[in-house]
Amino acid sequence: MTIAENIFENLRLELRRGCLTLAVLAQLREEHYGYTLRKALAERGLEIDESTLYPLLRRLEAQGLLTSEWREEEKRNKRFYRLSGDGEGIFAQLLAEWRAINASIDNIL
Amino acid sequence: MELLDRYLQAVKKHLPWERQEDIIAELRGNLEAQLEDKESELGRPLTQNEAEDWLRQIGAPIQVAARYQPQQYLIGPSLYPVFWFVLRTAILWVMIVYSIGVAVQIAVHTPNWSAVMEGVLRVPEVLLTTAAAVTLIFAVIEFLAARHPGRWPLPVLPSADWMPSALPPVEVKTACGKKPRHFAHAVAEVIFGFLALIWLLLVPAHPYLLLGPGAAYLKASPFQLAPVWVTFYWWVVALNLLQLGWRMVDLLRGSWRKAPRGQHIAMSAIGLIPLGLLLLVQDHVYVLLKHPALDQAQFGAALTSINQSIHWSAVALAILAILHLIWEFGRMGMDAYRKRLAAMK
Repeated sequence: MTIAENIFENLRLELRRGCLTLAVLAQLREEHYGYTLRKALAERGLEIDESTLYPLLRRLEAQGLLTSEWREEEKRNKRFYRLSGDGEGIFAQLLAEWRAINASIDNIL
Repeated sequence: MELLDRYLQAVKKHLPWERQEDIIAELRGNLEAQLEDKESELGRPLTQNEAEDWLRQIGAPIQVAARYQPQQYLIGPSLYPVFWFVLRTAILWVMIVYSIGVAVQIAVHTPNWSAVMEGVLRVPEVLLTTAAAVTLIFAVIEFLAARHPGRWPLPVLPSADWMPSALPPVEVKTACGKKPRHFAHAVAEVIFGFLALIWLLLVPAHPYLLLGPGAAYLKASPFQLAPVWVTFYWWVVALNLLQLGWRMVDLLRGSWRKAPRGQHIAMSAIGLIPLGLLLLVQDHVYVLLKHPALDQAQFGAALTSINQSIHWSAVALAILAILHLIWEFGRMGMDAYRKRLAAMK
């Protein structure tokens, strides 16, 4: 990887990090377990690695933005996540912030 | 699938023990669901190679496990500026204290070159030990703050309650165009000033430090120094002490940025006193004969010539010192004039 590619990759990851959180919170307005959430996001054009998404769910739950419960489905125990009450409030604020940034960038461009 | 079991087992080994079971159960559920999807798409189980490719794409077990851990630093970005500041300050002060300690030890116990070399060669060890100790302390602070953020808040640089008015003034160039002195410059002046003082104090016991081979010649010659040199010597020691003390006070008060022109002028003025002592010596006697009764006839003329040479050298030095003092006064006056002009603009 050249230096320019490396710089781009780092900036891309930095840019993506916050957007992924927003997308996960948005998608978890409906209940999902890890794999179906990943599929749902991919169907809407946002691919996320397993090793990024699953730990992210844990972190968001630890921050109180998600709730989770273990449930058996198709003879397997799965952990289902959904947006918590606090998560809904934070998600609304983040969404407003993201829209404002997007609008500003559009104005600048 | 045996390969998936082995994979999950490898991930588990790198997870914190209190969350291992929970994380692995969840990961297993997700990966098995994904595997089922893949197999139903293909209409057959994955081959060994396909399974390996799939797991390789998910990531190495240690990397996957690491993502479940909070981000860990030896010294994190919040603490790093404080760490860097403390490290630089600690190294500077340790070097000052070390230099003074070694100089005193050499002066008191073993005034020879091997002791000096030993002191110099130990510098890297002292620096590394200081850096290691500071790093260790900050790593412990970071560790405690990460584990118990409520009980051990990070001692970060002041952010909310800092006072803009407490910031140091803008570092403008001096009127003579010079930049303000660097802290390291001021520290080096103190260290070398102290070493020079030690050297000066060693001279009476070891005159070769000043005169080199001339010390042996003086000892063997029929001449000896007149008592005025003892007075002159102690004046020079006092001047060095005064200058060193002045610089140390500047350093401790934080006023080392200012170019010490006032100090230079004061020291130049005080430096005229020992020169004046030399000029006022009665009959210009700077060197005496050890045995006048025996050597007067043979060395009398040489003695007169030596004393005259020293006298005229002292006169020349005094003229130069006075001219230098006048020059410094003139520059100070010009600086003051330029400042006044700038203020009027």
